[in-house]
Amino acid sequence: MIDESLTREYKRREFLQLLHAGAAVSLALPLHGAQTPVRLLRSGDTYELRTGKIDMGQGARTLLAQAAAEELGVPVSAIQVIMADTALVPDDGGTWASLTTPQTVPAVRQEIARQQGSTPRQPPEWRVLGQSTPNVLGRAIVTGAQVYAGDLRHENTLAGIVLRPSSLNARLTSVDAAAARKLPGVTVVHDNDFLAVAAATPHEARRAARLIRAEWTPAPDPPISELAAEWRKTAVAPVENNQTRYPPLVRKGDAAAALAAGERLLKTEYWLPFIAHAPLETRAAIAEWNEDRLTVHSGKQAPFLVRAEIAKALGIAETQVHVLSSMPGGGFGGKQHADVEIEAARLARSAGRPVRVHWSREEEFRWSYVRPAGLMEIETAARADGRITAWRHRNYNAGSPGLPPPYDFPNQSSEFWRTPAPFRQGSYRALASTANNFARESHIDERAAGFHQDPLHYRLAHITDERLRAVLLRGAGLFRWPGPGKACGLACTIEKDGRLAIFAETAPAGKGFRVTRLLMVADFGAALNPTNLKNQMMGGMIQGLGGALFEEWTPATRSLRAYRLPRFSDVPPIELELIDRREIPAAGAGEAPIVLVAPAIANAFFALTGERGRSLPLNR
Amino acid sequence: MAVIELTVNGRKQRTDAPPGLMLLDLLRDSLGLTGAKPGCGEGACGACTVLLDGRPVKSCITPAASARGKTVVTIEGLAPEGGLHPVQQAFLETEAYQCGYCTPGMILAAAALLDRTPRPADAAIRQALEGHICRCGSYPRIVEAVRLAAREARRD
Ligand code: FES
Ligand code: FES
Repeated sequence: MIDESLTREYKRREFLQLLHAGAAVSLALPLHGAQTPVRLLRSGDTYELRTGKIDMGQGARTLLAQAAAEELGVPVSAIQVIMADTALVPDDGGTWASLTTPQTVPAVRQEIARQQGSTPRQPPEWRVLGQSTPNVLGRAIVTGAQVYAGDLRHENTLAGIVLRPSSLNARLTSVDAAAARKLPGVTVVHDNDFLAVAAATPHEARRAARLIRAEWTPAPDPPISELAAEWRKTAVAPVENNQTRYPPLVRKGDAAAALAAGERLLKTEYWLPFIAHAPLETRAAIAEWNEDRLTVHSGKQAPFLVRAEIAKALGIAETQVHVLSSMPGGGFGGKQHADVEIEAARLARSAGRPVRVHWSREEEFRWSYVRPAGLMEIETAARADGRITAWRHRNYNAGSPGLPPPYDFPNQSSEFWRTPAPFRQGSYRALASTANNFARESHIDERAAGFHQDPLHYRLAHITDERLRAVLLRGAGLFRWPGPGKACGLACTIEKDGRLAIFAETAPAGKGFRVTRLLMVADFGAALNPTNLKNQMMGGMIQGLGGALFEEWTPATRSLRAYRLPRFSDVPPIELELIDRREIPAAGAGEAPIVLVAPAIANAFFALTGERGRSLPLNR
Repeated sequence: MAVIELTVNGRKQRTDAPPGLMLLDLLRDSLGLTGAKPGCGEGACGACTVLLDGRPVKSCITPAASARGKTVVTIEGLAPEGGLHPVQQAFLETEAYQCGYCTPGMILAAAALLDRTPRPADAAIRQALEGHICRCGSYPRIVEAVRLAAREARRD
């Protein structure tokens, strides 16, 4: 179970420290007051860069090596990046919120410049940054040498299996493990609702687990269909709070009064389902005790948060726990918390031997956490020429990231209403920004259609941000908007300081439709590694395609066959265009590209059918 | 307990295989070859793909016993020690991966495809790899990598 208070406190501390340090704000601000989030050590001709960040495929290891190489004037190969080992690296929060680029890269550069008594090199002088340095892990990946947590094979290690109930909130009432305990080399742990076995091999552990008779009180999984109505009743209104990364209430003017007095009102409603991260690597951990000290090796995005959660669950001090994190085989926000680590540690404590636990796909679907579902309501008033005079956007449950609109509305209120969550929900790539952009970019399109205006020009009439206008206009040119004779749609946003626009084309296929072309233009400021950036853009878009078209998690989701992920045949031709602005500090881009796919496709679907897809997934 | 003999990456192996053991577990747990990855355990993702007598199989649903007397190639043995197979080289050049977890399975399936079909059309590449999931969404670059490998192989 995720300990929410611990997570909130940990993320709050991280955010305030960052605010204080000024690292997220601008490269020009010095890092003083807070702990420097990186360390640099020299040994002979090579350097060791130590950071709490991890690489989960987004290219962080390469990018940080580039940053160090740039300032040190050495080749990238001279930099060894040590990541996410709590005994070696400073605690700088987790690898989340696309912070590595805007926070850690400047911190590396500042730290090196400080040690050299200089200032970071200016963009026109860059030799390494701005280049498509090949991923430093490439050779290990293509030869199978790259080690993920589930690949670790320590000497003398037992395999652990956790017994699970058939419903998510069931309680364990009785256990008969006598037969399993009789097997040689088998350890059974039963502690409150935790029931698990360890044996020499996974095969033997599974055999022992089958001999255990356990009874659970049935607790039916809550039905998802009733959530929207319940949320409207129970949701808690947001209060202004700007001391947080994602303020839950973003206001300007007086939206309520302007709506009350406004004309040409339109109110629409959108739904976004729960979805699973479904990283291809299911989570795994090895735990080993040495007297009262615990070492845990797993593959998570936030080693220090994981350490705190392990310590709390086991009733020991954080200083007694050492966490090492291998590269996760996909994270997407789904590997921030301790779960499999705690299970392995409890088994290892009883067995007196190291224990490895590696979740099955079914466990990954059922016992990790999911992206929150969201209900969004948008209500607007407009002038006769179409200009929006009042905007109210309410998000129930999904979250506050992505609430601020990129548009100039004189009166606006964007609100995140908290609701009780029936399932374990947590972070997900870009989190609620996908929900908020889906609602906002759909509603604005409905407005444009209502006024018989071109959706591109309608948006431009509400945008003053020059960089956002530029990506839209560049995209329109490349796409040949409005795609004469074709069913096309678009969406745009400002996400984590990046400017993005997506253009989508659809065509009828069978009983439904298919996406036949996608184009994205993005401006993330300086493109520090263009090839890697495009890999992230592509990956985000394809993951977004899954959420837009097929993905929907329910408590009954247990297998990959039952959970439709994007495949080769789903991917249309995708064009990517980067606007590289060297003079502007680079924004993180691991998350932003996912957020516009659903609305761009929903808008194209409207152009195709005249129907609005206000509920995801569109191809249900 | 049954003992199986098979050839893995050119080496004869003799190992215990309890009934019901899958080839993937034999490779990872008995032989320590972890290049083939578990992703779903039901043949639905392709991460565990290895070559069995030259044909790609999903080792998570292939009983170890069915590999008796046969030849298995895993990602660790696709190219001679220290070298790269043209498909590996092409993946490297196009950076056709992000987390890399799907990569060994993709590379082995692509190598088998090029063995059978040296000049695959893009549609044939996609079709051969359709059962493989890349959750990171590297699909377009993977198609590009296989195309590049085919071109390079023809040049040699
Ligand atoms: S693990 Fe074998 S196909 Fe997924
Ligand atoms: S690169 Fe991560 S699953 Fe393919």
